[in-house]
Amino acid sequence: PDTPEVEKPKKAQKKLMPRKLKQEEIRPGTPQPVEGREHVYVQTELYLEEIIDRIIEVDGECQTDEFLDRPPTPLFIPAKTGKDVATQIEEGELFDFDIEVKPILEVLVGKTVEQALLEVMEEEELAQLWSHQRAFAELRNAEFAELQRLEEQDRRIREEKERRRLEHLEKLRKQKETAEKVAARAFAQRYLADLIPSVFSNLHDSGFFYDPIERDIETEFLPWLMSEVEETLQKKVLGRVMLDSLIRMVVEKRLDEFSRPPPSDQTEAPAEEPRATDAAPQVSGEASAADQPVAEADQPAAEE
Amino acid sequence: MAQPRISAYLPPDIDPTKAPLAFGRRALPKLNEELQSPELLTQQRALMALCDLVHDPEKVYQAIALGFLDNLKTLLVHHDQTVRQKTTEVLSIMAFHSIGRQGLIQSGVISALTGLLDDPVDICRKNTHQIFDIMAKLPEGAAGVLQAGLIPPLVLKLKTELDEIQEQILDTLSNCLQVEVSEALAAGVVAVLKEKLSHPSTAIRSKAAWVLLEISSHAEGKIAVCKEGVIPVLVSLLEDTQPEVQVNTAGALMFAAVTPQGRSAALGAEAIPPLLKLVAEETNKARLNAIKTLTLLAELPEGRQTLLDHRDTFQQCLDDPSEAVQRAAQIAITVIEWKP
Repeated sequence: PDTPEVEKPKKAQKKLMPRKLKQEEIRPGTPQPVEGREHVYVQTELYLEEIIDRIIEVDGECQTDEFLDRPPTPLFIPAKTGKDVATQIEEGELFDFDIEVKPILEVLVGKTVEQALLEVMEEEELAQLWSHQRAFAELRNAEFAELQRLEEQDRRIREEKERRRLEHLEKLRKQKETAEKVAARAFAQRYLADLIPSVFSNLHDSGFFYDPIERDIETEFLPWLMSEVEETLQKKVLGRVMLDSLIRMVVEKRLDEFSRPPPSDQTEAPAEEPRATDAAPQVSGEASAADQPVAEADQPAAEE
Repeated sequence: MAQPRISAYLPPDIDPTKAPLAFGRRALPKLNEELQSPELLTQQRALMALCDLVHDPEKVYQAIALGFLDNLKTLLVHHDQTVRQKTTEVLSIMAFHSIGRQGLIQSGVISALTGLLDDPVDICRKNTHQIFDIMAKLPEGAAGVLQAGLIPPLVLKLKTELDEIQEQILDTLSNCLQVEVSEALAAGVVAVLKEKLSHPSTAIRSKAAWVLLEISSHAEGKIAVCKEGVIPVLVSLLEDTQPEVQVNTAGALMFAAVTPQGRSAALGAEAIPPLLKLVAEETNKARLNAIKTLTLLAELPEGRQTLLDHRDTFQQCLDDPSEAVQRAAQIAITVIEWKP
């Protein structure tokens, strides 16, 4: 390919050519060729060029590569410039390692040890706390056990007391019951001691126990006796009544008789009349009155 | 510009596993943000840095004020084991400080930790149990542990866990059972402890005896202890060579012998000779407990009879430097010489 200076006039030329062709169509162009000769276009440049309408086309492909690691940059050794100069640090000139490293080491070791110490101190502190707590716990446990023991003792004593109290109450109750029972028994006995005699006496009184002979006498003999006595008395009464009627008759007769005769007999007659009339109602029952007429009646009865 | 003065802080990249700390007050807030980042490595580095910072009580205070505990709670259930392990470590170091403990109770970390009881990684479980242990030493912490319903799982874990973790569980249980004992009894803790009394490790035996002590200081506990027949085992343990075991065993017997059944069981198991031996030794820590137990046993007529012969042992105890022992010996002598 030509250098740009050469190509530029070529391009200019090429541009001029079509322009010139156009211009040449208007004005006469190159003269016609001589007979037997032809005009031929000729390239007069250095390099011949095939002039075709179709532009030369070439297919080309392009594909980017897969990601490749950037290759390591090649060691860049700059070109040596300057002068070579050498220097050497002798031992002990720059710094003394042992002295300089001390603070660094101190920090390193110190921090580590400090951390470790902190942790150990923590643990120790805690261990002390726990042991303190343990000691206290032991004392507390001992006291607690003592407390529980005393509580237990107290509970036992209270229970014992309670039991004894209940027992005592029970005993009292039983005693009371027994006394009541004894009293009741005594009372019942006493009450019932009278029972049998009273029962018997009641029965006796109501006539359940009877002597058969007495009964017999009572039921048969005595009524008979009484009836006989009644009869006898009735007879006596009859006698008296008879006597009374006799006396009455007599007295009435005498009255009749003596009412005609002189009045000196009238005093005797009324005196006898009251006596007779008195004796008449006093017939039954009165012992003193009855005795006289009985005695008087007996005489006439005996006379009759 | 480089200065000749050496900084008090460690150089920045000396430990690549830790996140670099921002200066001064900004350190903890920056760590807080890093904890919430989605990238695992950042979280881990932040946690490592936090672990070291948390030894300082002031930083603990600042951390709790900034609300670190909520972030740490969410990190407890992280899938990566390092994160969980470091989180539990941070929480356990925080629990060593009083402010940390208060903060942990208030933000309810205890219930969040229940999920970690079954963690496959040993260290996580160990740290979790350590947190429970320390929290239970506070009364509010013990109440918190009880409220979180941790006692039945802990009792179950006693049977299956490693020895060190068992020690921590026993410590936790001893502090919690001081408060309330019914849940543990329902979970059958007495039977488990009876087994542990014959464990080869000294610490476990002494701690198991301590837990039994705490259980029998309650009334239901005493009944349960008598029923399960733990008293003969305790009596045989009195002759153990280790002093801590002796102390705790004597203490457990002391409480168990308060009830009449416990007393007769102890007498039946021939507890008097070993106890007398413990009392006779001058430097033994179990003296106090042994004297108290003998006092209790002396309330029974047979016990009194036996102890009447050993009165001089108690007279010796009157010279003990500890005041409590003197008083106990005095009471013991009074009880022994009591006539109905």
